[in-house]
Amino acid sequence: MRLGKKIVILLPVAFAAIQFIQPARNKSGQVMPTDISNTLNIPPLVDTLLKTSCYDCHSNNTNYPWYANLQPLGWILNKHILKAKMELNFSDFGSYSSRRQRSKLKSIASQVNDNTMPLASYTWLHKNSKFSKEAKALINDWALKSIETIATGNKK
Amino acid sequence: MKNTFIGNAILAIVLVACNNVNEKTNTVRSDSSVLQQQTGKSASTAIASIKGIVAGYLQLKNALSNDNGNDAANAGKAITGALQNFDTAALKPDQKKVYADVQDDIKEHAEHIGMNADKIAHQREHFEMLSKDIYDLVKAFPAEQTLYKDYCPMYNNGKGAIWLSETKEIKNPYLGKKMPTCGEIKEEIK
Repeated sequence: MRLGKKIVILLPVAFAAIQFIQPARNKSGQVMPTDISNTLNIPPLVDTLLKTSCYDCHSNNTNYPWYANLQPLGWILNKHILKAKMELNFSDFGSYSSRRQRSKLKSIASQVNDNTMPLASYTWLHKNSKFSKEAKALINDWALKSIETIATGNKK
Repeated sequence: MKNTFIGNAILAIVLVACNNVNEKTNTVRSDSSVLQQQTGKSASTAIASIKGIVAGYLQLKNALSNDNGNDAANAGKAITGALQNFDTAALKPDQKKVYADVQDDIKEHAEHIGMNADKIAHQREHFEMLSKDIYDLVKAFPAEQTLYKDYCPMYNNGKGAIWLSETKEIKNPYLGKKMPTCGEIKEEIK
């Protein structure tokens, strides 16, 4: 058998085989005591914005798209989520030192303002996750106000 | 006669006992002086390693004022290394508290600066937050060198930002070569 023919046969077999290797799902389904909602007041509008545009990668609860079942896409997604959670995990926000919480909020405000977050690849796939000008202002105000709240020690 | 004998015996016992006590206190004293020497030693190594953190920070500051993202990234890595060598065991309680508060934050900013050699604007964002951490850290420890707290009113769309410098001369790390002399000394930390 020629090498080319071998590859043509083996590729679909390999593709079928990797479908059985599914990474663990990022879906805890419960609110941890360290969840940001237990640390800070989040107005309902801001809460919806964060949940729609950030929580898929930056929390312990991902709303998976259908293609997450298709490998290797699911693996890539999984790796992506792990990295995002290491940077910022809203489900674990309460465990950060208060200084780190303030730094995170500052980065949230600046990255949302200059469109670094949500990632362009994410907003392309999730059209409703893109922030409007008003949404950006809401998040910015909330983040800056929360920094003050933490600095003065008036956490929830 | 018998009475004086007993009396002498009691006196002797008491004297010996007292001597023993004295000896004991002596040994305790010498122990504690050894202890003091030891803690003195470990306290000085802790200071030496905040020196490492500060040295890394100043290296970073100088790289940013020269618009050099690569050097800045290396300095970020130097700070991460200095944090790893930091021994908290010998810190005073108030120093421990300050260090515990700034530690995670410094680590994170240093790591980000280390990873983003090609994004100097991003490095500067982290440098701004890092500067506040380092300022609080330096204030909690006895000074090893004179530092100046400088202020740039223009950075961050006019919100302003501080940095620390080892020289009186202003070399702005936020605006770099574009506006090297923008800023003023706000405080001398000795």
